[in-house]
Amino acid sequence: MSVLLQQLANGVMQGALIALIALGYTMVYGIIQLINFAHGEVFMVASYGGLATFTLLPDDLKKSPAVALPLMFVGGIVVAVVVAVIMERFAYRPLRNAPRLAPLITALGVSVFLQEAVRVFYPNAKSNLPYPNVFPEGNLSLGPVNISWTGVLLVVLSVGLAVILQTYINRSRMGRAMRATAQDPDTAKLMGVNPDRVIVLTFILGAVLAGVAGILYGGFLGNINIDMGFQNGIFAFTAAVLGGVGSIRGAVIGAFIIGLIKTLAGQYMPGGTQYDYVWIFVVLILVLVFRPQGLFGEPERVRA
Amino acid sequence: MSTSTVSTSSGSTTVAKRSALAPLGKPFAAAAGVLAIVAALLPWVTFTLNDGNWPDKSTLQFFDAPFAVTGFRWHVLLIGVLILVATFAPVPSKGRVVRALGWGLTVVAFVNAAYITVKGGGLGAITAVEGATAFGAVVGLVAGVLAILAGYGIGIGPVGEWNFKVSTPVAYLVLLVSFGAVLYAVAAMLTTGGVGSANPYAGAIFLSFLGFAGGLIGALSGVGFVRWLSALSEQHRVFSVIVLAACALLLPFTDAGNEYWMTVAANIGIYAATAIGLNIVVGLAGLLDLGYVAFMGIGALVAANFSGAATAHFGIHLPFPVAAAAAAIVAGIFGAIVGSPTLRVRGDYLAIVTLAFGEIFTRSAQNNIGGITNGSNAIPGIPPLSLFGTEFNKSISIGAVKLPAGVLYYVLIVLLVAGTMAVFANLKFSRIGRAWIAIREDEDAARAMGIRTGKMKILAFLIGATLAGLAGAVFAHKNGTVSYESFKFLESVTLLAAVILGGMGSIPGAVLGAALLFVLPEKLRDFEDYRLMIFGLALILIMRFRPVGLIPDAHRRAEMAERADENAEEAHVEAKKA
Repeated sequence: MSVLLQQLANGVMQGALIALIALGYTMVYGIIQLINFAHGEVFMVASYGGLATFTLLPDDLKKSPAVALPLMFVGGIVVAVVVAVIMERFAYRPLRNAPRLAPLITALGVSVFLQEAVRVFYPNAKSNLPYPNVFPEGNLSLGPVNISWTGVLLVVLSVGLAVILQTYINRSRMGRAMRATAQDPDTAKLMGVNPDRVIVLTFILGAVLAGVAGILYGGFLGNINIDMGFQNGIFAFTAAVLGGVGSIRGAVIGAFIIGLIKTLAGQYMPGGTQYDYVWIFVVLILVLVFRPQGLFGEPERVRA
Repeated sequence: MSTSTVSTSSGSTTVAKRSALAPLGKPFAAAAGVLAIVAALLPWVTFTLNDGNWPDKSTLQFFDAPFAVTGFRWHVLLIGVLILVATFAPVPSKGRVVRALGWGLTVVAFVNAAYITVKGGGLGAITAVEGATAFGAVVGLVAGVLAILAGYGIGIGPVGEWNFKVSTPVAYLVLLVSFGAVLYAVAAMLTTGGVGSANPYAGAIFLSFLGFAGGLIGALSGVGFVRWLSALSEQHRVFSVIVLAACALLLPFTDAGNEYWMTVAANIGIYAATAIGLNIVVGLAGLLDLGYVAFMGIGALVAANFSGAATAHFGIHLPFPVAAAAAAIVAGIFGAIVGSPTLRVRGDYLAIVTLAFGEIFTRSAQNNIGGITNGSNAIPGIPPLSLFGTEFNKSISIGAVKLPAGVLYYVLIVLLVAGTMAVFANLKFSRIGRAWIAIREDEDAARAMGIRTGKMKILAFLIGATLAGLAGAVFAHKNGTVSYESFKFLESVTLLAAVILGGMGSIPGAVLGAALLFVLPEKLRDFEDYRLMIFGLALILIMRFRPVGLIPDAHRRAEMAERADENAEEAHVEAKKA
């Protein structure tokens, strides 16, 4: 029983992480119907950006987490946003009216490029890099279940940011422009919306969330490597599809389901953790084949 | 959406550029030609680099020995002469020719200059050292850039049209000579710079040669020769195929006929055959498959398990043809399974489903599922093929000529590639192929025309996977080891890139793409670390600037041209409005 509870808690934390990345996928797909395959790499780059920020800090600041951690968040997010904006401007925008498969192949290219660029140019990125220990230490104990404070931070930030994002898209002027562009870019243009700005904003929002996720991933697992983007990107994409691509709430709920599937399958399914990855892919295929609109269907979609 | 505005701006900028450069076109071209010839005769470096002399008498002084020009200097000289010829002779589509030659020259000059600068330590190598001045590289670069600008100044017109007919014997002669030239070029490309790391400058020599060859081919296609030749070979298809196969089989007799290059060529052949199979799925039927290499892996694993290797799971040793057939069939069955979601899933979602299947294969193979893959220990010790007691990895001699080891594998793989090509070509021009192309263009319309789209799409997956399984079986015996590591996501992407780089739906394209993507890493060991990064960048750039690939399929080219016209028209209308 305690094992099950602990695994449930682990699943929720995994899900919170995946949710932060999945939001980026779902928003971009909602607006321009592009599977931004490179979004996972944005998350990875942000993680390395945060690490680089920490390395560049003077020694006395490194010792005070209250200063170092926010600075790392800022550094990681800035790197992620810059990468995402460059990517949108030079790789995706020229292809906006190209055949559907062209941008997907470009996205693959961006993904390989970013991963390799980090591997080649970041010092020692060829092996796992330890992440600095500036995160709150210790555990929150609820009966038999232990949750690290970083995990709590992760869940709180993830759900909180998702709520803020949902409110922003539903209430603000820019959010309305986003929804309009998702619905019909040409008409939106006639109504005075600049689609280019909206699309860049979408990429930026996705990158900010991926940036937060990148830093928290480092703190949560203690070390980072260049494969983390591809793997977690796939999980997040699965979550976005599971929840119904284009829907904010769907992406978050889908992410928690994926997180739970991963930990529970690793615990209880034959093959153990070696195959947890496989189960997620099985879920992905089943969802795409039998319910491609996702669990939560149409109404919540940004794309509508 | 906003693309119309984008194309408007780009349209107007090219117009502006052309008008500003137009009067300068010819003088620029003439200057570029003269400068290129001068650059060829100037010294490029004035001292010995740490790794030995820069190749091809690069320290030669001006007019000391103009007859002794070799290597890249010879290429530069030739390009210079050709630019002059193109400038003053009545050449069709002059702008394109000059521009292509200019790009070739720029690449040659840039590669040599960059290597000399980096390896020689700073700009000192190019500028003055101990009083001697080496301006060759600088002059070459200037000439190249001038020629590119001149090309735009003269104007990029349509590709030249050659409409004259030739009699059959003349056509045969032309084809024979052209394919002979291709064979020579391939052999030269493989052997330039020597084997692997034997020559410290191998990478530079090869890149420089590639630039030269690219410039020449660009010029030839600008004149319209390439299009004419391909029409001619289409007319005499049987003859061309025979000559091409003969040329491929003659490769071992050229300079490239040593064990190393036979191995590389055989590996390229295996991937080329696989890429052709992928081309059926992606190029013809328009279904993006991101886990394709898994079928090759399945084929290799089946063949390995029936090969009699000590670590194989089944203690059965089947003769190679039977094992290869089994590999192809098993891979085909998996292909049909992976393809079955196409009944419900379309477009980029389908790509993700195939990616998921590919990852499931990799993970399962890594974890030694059912004990048949041996996980990360791989299945080593697969015996080489043998025919009449001759093992395929030994050297053989025909009469007095001793052929290098591995030549039998090379022959087998040439036959494999030829067979795959034949399957592809026959399918493409059959009822099935037309159905695939119809599905690619518009699935709903194809269905309305009575094509059973679901069946056809599964068939595409099945045939593609069967070909990959066959290639995988050869791969297992050729390499002697089968490990899941050879069949990961990145390999799928590489194969896809080969298809796209060469041109989707085009047969020579897939072979060219595979050849480039698998020869370049052999040649560019200096850049081994950057290989994948450059590769990712190349994918982005191809999709941006030449989505049809290097050798586009005729049908697809027409389609893209139409689209370009539409865009241009739209831009024109918008420009008027503004």
